[in-house]
Order: sequence, then C-alpha cells, then structure tokens
Amino acid sequence: MIELFGVTKRFGAETAVDALSLRVEKGQVCVLVGTSGCGKSTTLRMINRLIEHDAGEIHLEGAPVRSFDEVTLRRRIGYVIQSTGLFPHWTVARNIGLVPRLLKWPRGRIHERVEELMALLGLPVQEFADKYPRQLSGGQAQRVGVARALAADPDILLMDEPFGALDPLTRQALQKQLQELQARLHKTVVFVTHDMDEALALADRLVVMRKGRIVQQGRPIDLLHEPADEFVESLLGGMDRGLKEAALTRVSERMLPLGPRLLASERIPYDASLSQALSLMLWHRVERLTVVDGEDIPVGELSLRRLLGGKSS
Amino acid sequence: MSRQWLTVGSAALTPGLRHWLAPLVWLSLLVLFATGMAHLEGAFRWLEPDSREVIYRRAGFIALLGQHAMVVGIASLVAVVLGVGSAIAVTRPVGRDFLPLVSQLASIGQTFPPVAVLALAVPALGFGTLPIIVALLLYGLLPIVRNTLTGLDGIDPDVREAARGMGMTRGQLLRQVELPLAAPVILAGIRTSVTVNIATAALGATVGASNLGDPIIAGIINGNTAYIVQGALLIGLLALAVDSVFERLLRRG
Amino acid sequence: MESGRCEPNRVLLVLMLAGLFAWLSLDAVSLAPNRIVSGTPYRAFQILGGWPALALALPMLIVAGLAWRSSRQALRAALWGVLALLTLLPWWLVAASVDLVEPGMAQARVGIGASIWLLLFVWLLALIELRTRLELSRPLGWLLLLPVLTSWWLALTWGQAPLSLYREYQARSDQFLTAVSTHLALVGAAVGTSLVLGALLALAMRRHPGVRRASFGLLSFLQTVPSLALFGLLLAPLAWLGARVDMLAAIGVSGIGWAPAFLALLGYSLLPMVRNIYVALEEVDPAVIESARGMGMSRRQVLLQVRLPLALPIVLEGIRITTVQAIGLTAVAALIGAGGLGTFVFQGLGQAAMDMVLLGALPILGLALIADATISALSERLRPGGAP
Repeated sequence: MIELFGVTKRFGAETAVDALSLRVEKGQVCVLVGTSGCGKSTTLRMINRLIEHDAGEIHLEGAPVRSFDEVTLRRRIGYVIQSTGLFPHWTVARNIGLVPRLLKWPRGRIHERVEELMALLGLPVQEFADKYPRQLSGGQAQRVGVARALAADPDILLMDEPFGALDPLTRQALQKQLQELQARLHKTVVFVTHDMDEALALADRLVVMRKGRIVQQGRPIDLLHEPADEFVESLLGGMDRGLKEAALTRVSERMLPLGPRLLASERIPYDASLSQALSLMLWHRVERLTVVDGEDIPVGELSLRRLLGGKSS
Repeated sequence: MSRQWLTVGSAALTPGLRHWLAPLVWLSLLVLFATGMAHLEGAFRWLEPDSREVIYRRAGFIALLGQHAMVVGIASLVAVVLGVGSAIAVTRPVGRDFLPLVSQLASIGQTFPPVAVLALAVPALGFGTLPIIVALLLYGLLPIVRNTLTGLDGIDPDVREAARGMGMTRGQLLRQVELPLAAPVILAGIRTSVTVNIATAALGATVGASNLGDPIIAGIINGNTAYIVQGALLIGLLALAVDSVFERLLRRG
Repeated sequence: MESGRCEPNRVLLVLMLAGLFAWLSLDAVSLAPNRIVSGTPYRAFQILGGWPALALALPMLIVAGLAWRSSRQALRAALWGVLALLTLLPWWLVAASVDLVEPGMAQARVGIGASIWLLLFVWLLALIELRTRLELSRPLGWLLLLPVLTSWWLALTWGQAPLSLYREYQARSDQFLTAVSTHLALVGAAVGTSLVLGALLALAMRRHPGVRRASFGLLSFLQTVPSLALFGLLLAPLAWLGARVDMLAAIGVSGIGWAPAFLALLGYSLLPMVRNIYVALEEVDPAVIESARGMGMSRRQVLLQVRLPLALPIVLEGIRITTVQAIGLTAVAALIGAGGLGTFVFQGLGQAAMDMVLLGALPILGLALIADATISALSERLRPGGAP
C-alpha cells in the first residue's frame, strides 16, 4: 500500500506537485494521467526517492519512505522507464539479474530467477540471454526492462511511461502482456502515462492530474460517466467518450444466452470489447452478433439494443 | 617431433596471445635495437661516412630507454590518477561546483605548447629529471581530464536514472556503470597523453634529463645524422609499442 | 541557478583562500644585485612593514566574502574585486622595488616569486570562473583584461619597477622583436602552405581512394615522429642539397636554419589540415546536397554556395589546430638554428638564465592562446546559425 499525504515538490519558484494526497491499495494498478508537465512523473519519482519531496509524507505499508535507507528502498521497488535505461555494456541476462546481484543473492538463484523471468516475459533464454541491449527491438528491450524491475520480486512496481516510445501494435501487445502478468502477480503498480487509452485499459484506479494537483480520481468507468470538469472530459476524448467506455466492457458482460432464433451470421469472441462489437455491427450493417468462445463455439448473442444498454431484444 | 611442437605452438597462439602479437613484435624490436645497436655500425657508417664515431656511446641505449620509459611512466601514472580522479570528483555532487572551471581549464590547457610548459617548469623546479616529469604530468593531465569528462558526460542520463532507480549506490553506479561505459573514451585520452609524452620527453634532454633525446641533441650539435636516427628509431619504436598496447585494449573494450 | 536562494560559490571561495595562503606564506619577490647572482627571497609582509601586503589581502577577503552569498550582484562585485587585484598587483611590485632596491644598485633586479605566480594563476582562474558564471561573452572577457594590462604596462614603464623579466626584455628588445617576427613568419608560412597543399590533397583524395589511404598513412606516421628527431633528420639531406644545388643555396637552403624547420612544420601541419578539409568536404549532410541538386544547382554552385560555407568552420578548426601546434613546434626549431622565440628558451636553459627562458616561454604561451582565441572566435562567427 502506498499513501501520499499532502506531498509538495518545488523546483525553484515552480511548484511541480502541490499538496497531493493519494492512496494506492495493495495489488491495485493506479494510473497517473495528464498532460506533460502536470507533475505525474515527479510524483512517481518521489515514491522511490529519486526526487526528495519538500513537504508532506509518503508512506509505504504505513512507514514513511524517509525512514528507509534510499538504496534499500529502491531495491525493494521495481522501476521501469520509457527509454528502458538498460546498461548497454551488459547482456540481457546480466541486466535482468541486476537487483538480485545488488542484494547479493547466491549465483544459482540469480540464474534461476533470470530464466524464470525471461520465460514469463516471452523472451526465449537461448535466443536472448547473451544479447546486448542494442541488438534488441524496442518492444524486446522494454520487456527486458520490465523483467529487470520484477527480478527481486518487489511488491511495488513504478512505471514511468514504459510503453511511450513504442509503435501502437507493440504497445498494445505489451499492455496486454502487462495485464496478464498483473492477473498472476498482483503487484501494487503506479503507472504514469499521457495516453488515455492506455490509462483506461490498465487502470484499477485512474488519477487525472493537472498542474501538480489531482483533478479527479476513481474507477475508469466512473470518470467516464461523470467527468469532474471540461478538462477531464476533453482528456477522456470528448465526443469519443462513448467508444472509450464501450472499450472497457467485455462482450461477455452484456451477451444474452442463445435464444430460439437463428444464429446471426457475424461472430465475435466473448472477450472482445463492446466497442469492437459496435464496430463489427457498423461494418456489416447488422444489429445482431453471435458470441463465440475460444474454440469458435457459439455461447451467446449480442444485439444492438442490448449493447446500448437496453433490457432485452 | 619438432614439427608437431610447432603446430602445437601455433595452436596455443590462438586466441589469447595472437591478440597481443603486435605489441609483442614492437616491444621485441625495441629491445632488440636497444641492445644490439652497435651491431648495426655498418649501416650507420654508410649513412654517416665522414664521422669518426657513428654509434652514440656516451650512455648505453638500454639505460637511456629505461630513463625515458621511467619518466614517461611515472608522469603518465600520476596523470592518470590525478586526471581521472579529478574528472570523477567534479562530476560528483560534492565537486560539481568546480566542473565548469575544470573543463574550461582542460580545453584552454590543450593550447599550451609542450616546450613552453617544459621551459616554465625549469625556473620553478631547477634542472634534471623532476621538471620534465612535472611538465609531462601537467601536459598529459589535460587530454585525460577532458576525455574522462567527455566519457562521463556521454552516458545516457536514462541509464544513470535507471541505475539509481534500481537501488545502486553511488559507488556501484560509478564502478559498474559509469566507468565501464566511459572506459573507451578515457582510454583514448590516456593513449593521446602517453604517446604525446613519449615524444615530448625527448625535449627533456635540453634541461639536463638524460633519456633518448640525448642522442638526438648530440646529433644535432655535432651534425651526426646517425645519432639522430638512433634516438628517433628507439623513440618511435617505444611509441609504436605503447600505442599498439592501447590499440589492443581499446579494441577489446 | 533557477532558485532564488544563493549558495556559496565554493570555487571562488577555495581560490581566494588558496591565494591568501600563497600570499602570506610563500616568497613574493627576490632581489638580486645583478643578472647572474641568484636573489634573496622576501615574503610579502616583509615589505614596507607589511601594510601594502595587507592592502592586497583585504580585497581577497572581500571577494571570498562575496562568494559566500553568490547572488548575481555579489558575483559582479567579485569580478570587479578580482580585476582590481590584478590592477593593483604591479603597483605593489613598484612599492616593493622602491623599498628593497637601494639607490646604488643600478643592476638590481626584482624577481617574481612563487607567491605572485600563484596569485596570478589563481586570480585568472577566478576570472574564468566568474566569466562563466556571469555568462559574459568571450570578447567582453578579453576587454576586461585591457585595464589590467594597461596598469602593468604603466607600472613597468612609468613606475620603473626593475622587474627581472622586464630588464631582460629591455636588454634585448631588438632581438626579441626579430624573434617574434621570425617565429610568426615561420608559423604563417607553414600554415599558409599547408592550407593550399592540404586543399589540393583533400580534393585529390575525394577523387582517388588510393591517394587517401596513402596520404593519411604517411601523414599519420609523420605525426608520430618526435619533433626533435624530424628537425634533426632533415639537417643532413638539406645540407647536401644546399651544397649541391646552387639555386637552392641562393635562397638560403642549408642544413640548419629556416629550410628544415619549414619542411618539418609543413609535414606536421598537413595532417590536421588535410583531415579537416577532407572531413569538411565529405561530411556535409547528404540530404542538403541532394536537395541543392534537386533545386537545380550546378556542381559548381553546390560547391561554392553550399559545400564551402558549410565547410568553412571545420576548415577554420583545422587552421586553429595547425597554428597552435606550429607555434609550439617552431619553438623547438630554434634548436636547429631557425630562430624564433625558442632561441631564448634554449639559450636561457644553456646559460641557466631563467629570466631569458621566461622571456621566450611566456610569449610562446601568449601567442598560442591568442591564436586559439582569435581563430575560435572567427569560426564561431562564421558558423551558420550559431550552434554547431
């Protein structure tokens, strides 16, 4: 659990973070989102004391971060940044094993842990262990960055626009991978991004920041329904808001059991989102879709009225 | 039997020794010429038919070479320690205030002619080996400081940020990340420093330090080209040997 | 920088404290009855009861105090303080001479001691530091030195301080001027010739890769030959030529003198010159050339209007390196009788006359610094868009 109480940071005359209070529950993904210069990165970096806060308190599991030695603190917190910051003179395996080595784990255990993590992130050991960072693609390098952050199995993971420099396809793939990882590992994650789609996709708790303050926070769906002001609304996409909301809901949550009627000809996987369902309907000019499971077996159906939130078709 | 030994020998040359082949060749040539210069009297006689004496004999070449190498060695060693040390010091939070001054000084100092530095060292320190060591040290310091600063400055700030974020101490960051990453540039600076100093040290002969510059000065004064060639040959071989060692180190890095 | 709070400028503080320490604990001047005898050292506070020494110590303390709260105003005041120190110092020397030199000692010389050399060094460092912190431009920095130099000149001529270095200069002012002009002539000839030859060679290299490899190989090798040896090695062949070929002898080619010096200087100058010209012509952004061609510029127009203006700063950088290097090497050339300022250095070393060594070495240093500063300023001027 991470708690911030009235945390303030000034750079000279500029107030980067202004009396900010925030609470991130254990196992929760908290996404800080806002335009550049809103203080979201500064907030993140104050948690592992890369930047020292001027006022207020930051607590980790109830203890102020200042009560820890900063080096010990950082070794307990995973940290991922946009440009990966991989050490160019070390192999992938050595990069991943960095924190365990700093913690003086025995050699064998480090080796095991590195292989485990590479498998977890879909990096075949044979192929990647001895490569150097410059031989990796952007997506591969960022996966190594995530693996490195997870190496010592920290409870907390800080991610500063980790996918910001990747192309859209790779970015989506990594977002999905991160969701799957989180479903298994249940880390407490603070994730900074300026990309609202990414924020909506990943967040358990969404925090919109502006000029060093929190404008609004809550579940993504709540923010979509009731944006606090025009700023949040525009950030959430203005007229595209409906689509963004639909993207948050799975088809399986809205579908009805198969009825007596004939199956609709167009099919959609049950884990697709409502926005994808809407897109299919628009494309094929139909009002009904057959929902199928992973083996392409029909498990239900979805009508346009149902999609829009109606009771039944 | 002997044939077999030969093949074993050449196999053993791979890969460790073979990489050091160039430095070894230059070094053995250097030692060979330093010890056996007198055997080349015929060649030098042809070069300088009119002189009574064609081999420099006022001091042994081995002794001169030893002096030369020692002076350059001491000066370079101290210059490396001071240069790398001060460049590291001014890039730490403690010494950061001094960074602008030191980097300006290092670039201004590059324009100082070695002769002038040497000449200024003599009034301060008198004649002999000490002023030449100090002059070489001061002169050799600058490329090392400048390159160490460049090397440390060239490190991606995100790598530093990540290292700190992972919980490396300042010492670990310096030893495991900053120095290894800056090493090629630092080494290039040391290389420049040492090779320039090997040539400059010859000027020490004019301030009473005895080294491989002696035969050259004697040759100029007596109009004896053979002496000059002997001095130049050994200095050149010394420079090539040292340079090839650095070449090797840089390629591995 | 961005904060309004002022932290102490530790650099200035350290420099001033070092200056104070040197001023109070080391020998400031030495008095010698004539040129040959070595002098008796005196410390600063031994002169005129120590009051003038205090007068110089006080501004240093003030500057150190200003450094404690390094706001912009404080630093500006500190700059004036350091300039005042530099301006006052020669008058302290005048006072010291008046105090030490008795009327009968016509040949007396006042030598500058370790303390004053250190003070000068430390104060110049302080000036560099302040110039950087206050972000003053280079020309302004040089301009600030003008009153200082005037003050020194006045102290030496009008104040008649019998400083040994100045006495040495007075004794051989004609020789000195000849040496400076010889020095500059050799440097100018070598740099000028290497510029022309370098340009031709670089153009040839662009046509023929073979020429490129061979020239770079040869010139790099030449750079590694110790200057002393190269000068020496040219003696015999040129002596031989001078003796055999009358026409060469008529223009003064002989084993010693300007000919071997010039050739060796040229050899050393060619590498940096050719390298820079070649790089300048070669490494213009291909996209720029491409677009120039695309707009319909002829090869000639591309060369004259695009390549050359872009190349000029890099070529100037080559001229700078070459000139600074040649100024130093010409000093060595004095050993083979080429004249120049090196003559004083080596004669002085031979006679153990340190003032004479300084009379040669300091101007060499000065020339190198001036050449470096002037050409750097010029190339900064010519760089399109300012930044590199």
